[in-house]
Amino acid sequence: EVTQVNRCLDAAKACNVDEACQKLRTDYVSQCIRHVSRTEQCNRSKCHKALRKFFDRVPAEYTNELLFCPCEDTACAERRRQTIVPACSYESKEKPNCLTPLESCKGNNICRSRFAEFQYNCQPSLQSTTGCTRENYAACLLAYTGIIGSAITPNYVDNSSSSVSPWCTCNTSGNRQEECENFLHLFTKNICLQNAIHAFGNGTNLNPV
Amino acid sequence: RTIKDRKRKNKGCVLREIHLNVTDLGLGYETKEELKFRYCSGSCNNPETTYDQILKNLTIKKRLVNDKVKQACCRPTAFDDDLSFLDDNLVYHTLKKHSAKKCGCV
Repeated sequence: EVTQVNRCLDAAKACNVDEACQKLRTDYVSQCIRHVSRTEQCNRSKCHKALRKFFDRVPAEYTNELLFCPCEDTACAERRRQTIVPACSYESKEKPNCLTPLESCKGNNICRSRFAEFQYNCQPSLQSTTGCTRENYAACLLAYTGIIGSAITPNYVDNSSSSVSPWCTCNTSGNRQEECENFLHLFTKNICLQNAIHAFGNGTNLNPV
Repeated sequence: RTIKDRKRKNKGCVLREIHLNVTDLGLGYETKEELKFRYCSGSCNNPETTYDQILKNLTIKKRLVNDKVKQACCRPTAFDDDLSFLDDNLVYHTLKKHSAKKCGCV
């Protein structure tokens, strides 16, 4: 077998030779891996801020390759999962109920508007051939990267699939079960988002005419 | 002769660039990532300061035979931005002051 293609690795190589991408990637990695104390692993708000700066300022040709690179093996998929330094930006000891991060998102101006963009541009539709109401994969991917570094930061859930989710569950939602699941399924059961990521990987992300 | 004239004569000292694997740096990291490495290269034969001129004169007159005094070297005067990369064990590392941004005879 010839050397396996690892598009996520190629994306990192490409970023390292672009001045802006290299600098802003290093900025967020440095913020996200900096240990602040024995009890606190990192400063999540600084890590999130640096991630937002990265996805806001670096052209999508680099950021999309780093985040949506298609993978056939776990080495590639694990690298893809590590893109946003999840130990700091994503995971926490307890998985909260999804309504908790959702409420804190609604209480923040940036997060609220970014989430609205995500809902709008990644709105699934069973009637559309693309799976998207807006029929625009690029807009959906851009909206997805827009919420990285917020209270509802999504990421790949494991190193074997391309399933994404924010760090939360809908267990113990009580009488708000439906509300919770409506939010969670925007990530985990969203045909538009899934198609957009898949289409990016196989180069068919051009919008239908 | 002004300092500016002297500096122009050391135009041999320049910034060069080479594309490398991070492993080529020999720092012990295991990763497949790559980087642009910039370094300073070239001669600094022409004295840039009065100090350098005196050293040169004393060397020619063989007044400093016992000491190993060095003339100016082509060295980085500023470094590139830090560089982060992910290693094969999925640990991030950051290199600081690893690559030259500007060169000078110092």
